[in-house]
Amino acid sequence: MKPVAFDYERAASLSDAASLLARTGGFVKLLAGGQSLGPMLNLRLAQPDLLIDITSIPELTAIIDGGDHLEIGACVTHSDIEDGRVPDHFGGLLRQVAGRIAYRPVRNRGTVGGSLAHADPAADWISALSLIGADAVLWSQRGVRTVAVENLVVSSFTTALAADELIRGVRIPKLSPAARWGFFKFSQKAGEFAHTIGGVLHDPARGVFRAVLGAIETAPIVLADARPLFGGSAFDSGIANRIDREAIARLLDGKNVTDDYIRSLAPVALKRAAIQASAS
Amino acid sequence: MKAVSLVINGKQSEATIEPRLNLVDFLRDHCELTATHIGCEHGVCGACTVLIDGVPARSCITFTVAADRAAITTLEGFAGDPAMNTLREAFAEHHGLQCGFCTPGMLMTARDIVTRFPDADEKRIRMELAGNLCRCTGYVGIVKAIQDALVKLKAAPALPQAVRGIGPAGSHPPAVHKERGAAPALSGRAMAAASTENFDVVDWAAIEREGVELQQSFVVPFPRADVWRFFADLGHVTRCMPGARLTTPVQGGRAEGEVTVKLGPIVSAFQGVLDVARDDAAFRGTVRGAGRDSRSPSSARAIIRYSIDAPDVSSSQVGVTVKFLLSGPLAQFSRGGLVKDIADQLTRVFARNLEARLSGKPLQDHQAQTLDAGAVARSALWARIRSFFMRT
Repeated sequence: MKPVAFDYERAASLSDAASLLARTGGFVKLLAGGQSLGPMLNLRLAQPDLLIDITSIPELTAIIDGGDHLEIGACVTHSDIEDGRVPDHFGGLLRQVAGRIAYRPVRNRGTVGGSLAHADPAADWISALSLIGADAVLWSQRGVRTVAVENLVVSSFTTALAADELIRGVRIPKLSPAARWGFFKFSQKAGEFAHTIGGVLHDPARGVFRAVLGAIETAPIVLADARPLFGGSAFDSGIANRIDREAIARLLDGKNVTDDYIRSLAPVALKRAAIQASAS
Repeated sequence: MKAVSLVINGKQSEATIEPRLNLVDFLRDHCELTATHIGCEHGVCGACTVLIDGVPARSCITFTVAADRAAITTLEGFAGDPAMNTLREAFAEHHGLQCGFCTPGMLMTARDIVTRFPDADEKRIRMELAGNLCRCTGYVGIVKAIQDALVKLKAAPALPQAVRGIGPAGSHPPAVHKERGAAPALSGRAMAAASTENFDVVDWAAIEREGVELQQSFVVPFPRADVWRFFADLGHVTRCMPGARLTTPVQGGRAEGEVTVKLGPIVSAFQGVLDVARDDAAFRGTVRGAGRDSRSPSSARAIIRYSIDAPDVSSSQVGVTVKFLLSGPLAQFSRGGLVKDIADQLTRVFARNLEARLSGKPLQDHQAQTLDAGAVARSALWARIRSFFMRT
């Protein structure tokens, strides 16, 4: 199908975007790469009155080295990360994730910030950036605030963004050389949305042992202390054999995840992530 | 209408177009370049793949206006390109095509593979081809053709990689950088009146049989008789549901109503008929509803059963079981779990509003407001409501 008619403006700056976003009398949507919004527009599920293209705002394609973290603009694409145009301070974690999102033509336009704002629970960045402990930098004319990515996504297609806010970028902590990670997503076909995601990150130099269970049809489960998933054990090479299925079941209960398929896949996704993390 | 300027296969092209015009339609209908095919129109099948600023992208989900000042290469634009010529010959030689519908996209992706992965093995080729669907060949001939082309291209000089900056391919700063001041209000579109549902011919047995079932339960700190009395008034109950309102009074247990739900970029406005049956002795009731979305040809039918139980004299447990069937684009889009997640959010707000109404407090947001799921979850009351929740 073809989209319904809408107005389109390309914002030249953040303040320009803000004045466009403040327009009343209709439904206004921000447009980054459009790789999730485009299909919804074509299917006429989304029928905005105005699209604001934010990809020309300089801050949104900036990459700033903040010492212990890297701040990437919201309109950095998946392929920018996959190809290494964004410096890899993350032991290859983000490059692996980026390279397995959808298909190359989609990755050439789809953006990190767009994916977060769209908040499809099955998308990769919500889980991967929560695992690594990244913060979203939210901008509005009222000021700038940061929100942990795990708190940005509230539930399916629902974020903590206010109506006048946009995601300016993402602050991603750099991993130490000793960091080990695993990230596994269940897909029946390369490039499709994940059926379940498991992620494990151990960075002893920074005292980090985190885990994520994502693509569970609602916001991911993020553990800043992953030990309860492994019977209270600290990270070691045998971690994959100590997965506590009951602990996972309780966490899924807490999110009201009742789908048997997801409940079956979750411990396996986590185990495969743990195997990758402990083998690397 | 927007004026755009693109370079198409090396030729400057100016046009004035509607913002909603996707690049593939611009190429086919305005530029008469019909090698690029339209398949799924949502980025999955790969038939529409073209090069934008030298790298592959989906022209069915790239608006022409968003690619203003970009360089586009379609299959018509590869004369003299050694990689594409080699691939074309290899596709012909290895039965890499049959009907030819997917072939333009296949060749684009194949060229991307031989450019970026000169040492690609079969697994890599199949991975990279996952975004191009072919219904004829079974892919074997296509994979062989790419393998053969890789061997032949080994002897040739290395293929140049596209030079690119950060950000979506084809996105360029505006030619004129201008700051906008306060902008005027949008005119908005009038919502079409939804075609009315013939309630009496709905096949409710099919919904019982095939419907998706959701169960919710929550406790409110009020005696059962109070809660039941409240539930007896369909108008009261409707006002607790965010975005919902009755548009006609209840007559003979039946009323017309509408409910608007905003979920990310989707705004749905369902209009339809509700029918209520109550069993006062058992504190149980059934609401049947059927409605259509005024913005998309989607429809929804639901059977909602509710019960009020009394765990103790001063509180009531409200149980709600919903069986529903969605049809139309909304159903195509929805994965089962997402609908459940939305229903969970709706129930939370409903419970919060119900409690407020029973306490005699005014509702902050009952005035036929749209459910903005985000606003719900952000609300300060949310944590308190969550503590009331019981899993079913």
